Amino acid sequence: MAAQPQAISPEEDLEALFDSIAEQRSEEIRRVAEPDRISGNDALGAEPAAAGAKEGVHQRLGHLTRLLHDTLGELGYDKTMTSLAQGLPDACDRLNYIARLTGEAAEKALNGVDRGQTLQAGIGADATALAGEWERVYAKQVSVEDFRSIAQRTREFFQTVPQRTGELGVVLTDIMMAQDFHDLTGQVIKKIVDLTKHTEKQLLDLLVETTPQALRAEMEHHLAGPVVNAEGRPDVVTSQQQVDDLLEKLGF
Amino acid sequence: MEAQNLKFLVVDDFATMRRIVRNLLKESGYVNVEEAEDGVAALGLLKMTKFDFVISDINMPNMNGFELLRQIRAEPALKTIPVLMVTAEAKKEDIVNAAQCGASGYIVKPFTKATLEEKLVKIISKLQLQ
Repeated sequence: MAAQPQAISPEEDLEALFDSIAEQRSEEIRRVAEPDRISGNDALGAEPAAAGAKEGVHQRLGHLTRLLHDTLGELGYDKTMTSLAQGLPDACDRLNYIARLTGEAAEKALNGVDRGQTLQAGIGADATALAGEWERVYAKQVSVEDFRSIAQRTREFFQTVPQRTGELGVVLTDIMMAQDFHDLTGQVIKKIVDLTKHTEKQLLDLLVETTPQALRAEMEHHLAGPVVNAEGRPDVVTSQQQVDDLLEKLGF
Repeated sequence: MEAQNLKFLVVDDFATMRRIVRNLLKESGYVNVEEAEDGVAALGLLKMTKFDFVISDINMPNMNGFELLRQIRAEPALKTIPVLMVTAEAKKEDIVNAAQCGASGYIVKPFTKATLEEKLVKIISKLQLQ
C-alpha cells in the first residue's frame, strides 16, 4: 500500500468529474420516475433564461452594428471599412484552401492506409496458411504429391513477396508525400494571422480616432498604442454623440 | 449480445474523422458501422434502424452533438442507447455538459485505438450489468 496519495492527473480528474455527474443524473432520473416527484431539473429552468439573454445580446449587437456602420459612413471612413471588408473574403478563401488541402491530404493518406492494410494482411494470411501446411509436412502427414504441391506453392509465395513489399513501400512513400500540405497550409495560416492582426489594428485605430476627447483618457487606459488626434469638425459633434452612446454601451 | 456484431453510428461533419473512427472500430473488430454528418441525419437513421452504439462529435452544423444527445435521451425508443461523445479538447464545461445531457462517456481527440477500445469496453460492460 502506498503511504503517500498518488498525484491525480488532470485527465483522471475530468474522468472522475464526468462519472460523478453521470451517476447523479442516473439518480435524478430514478427519483423522477418514482411517484413522489421532486421538483424539476434546475438546468431546464436555466435554459429559457439563457435563451432570453442571448436574444437581448443579439438585439444590442444588431443596434451597435447599425450605429457603427452609419457613423463610419458619415465620418468618411467607409473606404477603410471597404478594405477591411475585402480582407475578410480573402481570409475566407485562404481558409477554404486550407480545408481543401488538408481534406485531400487526409484522403490520400487514408487511401494509402487501406491499400497498405490489404497488402500486409494478404502477406500475413498466405504465410500463415503455408506455415500450417509445412507443419503437416513435418508431422509426416502428407503424401509425396502433396509435398510437391506445398513446395511449389511456397516457392510461388516467395516470388510474390518482393512485389508485394515493393508495393507497400510505394504506399508508405505516398502517405509520407501526402504530408506536404503542412508546409503549404502553414504559410497560408501565417498570412491569415497577419491579416487578422492588421484588421484588428485598423479597427482599434478607427475606434481611437472616433473617440471624443472626454473619453480619450479612458480609451488610452484600455488600449495600447499611440493616440491619434482627430481634427475638430462641426458635423462630427452629432456623430460623436452617437459614438458616445456606442462607447457607453460598450462600457468605456 | 455478441460484442462484435454491435451496430455503430458514427456522427461527425468531417468525412475524414468518420473514416478514421470507422477504421479504428474495424481494427477492434467492430465492422458493422454506419455514418451520419450531423445530428439531423443521425436522428433520421436512428429512427429507421436499430443501432447499438452512437459515437458523436460535438461541433456540427444543423444539430450539434449535445442537442443530438438530448433528443436521443428524450426519445423512448432511443433513450437507452449508449452515446460516446467526442470532444476536441478536454474542456471541463464540455465534459460537464456531456455528463448532464446523459452521455455514456467521452473521448478527447486525437485518440488512439487503445483509448477508444478502453472507452467502448467500459461502456459496454456497464450496459451488460444493467
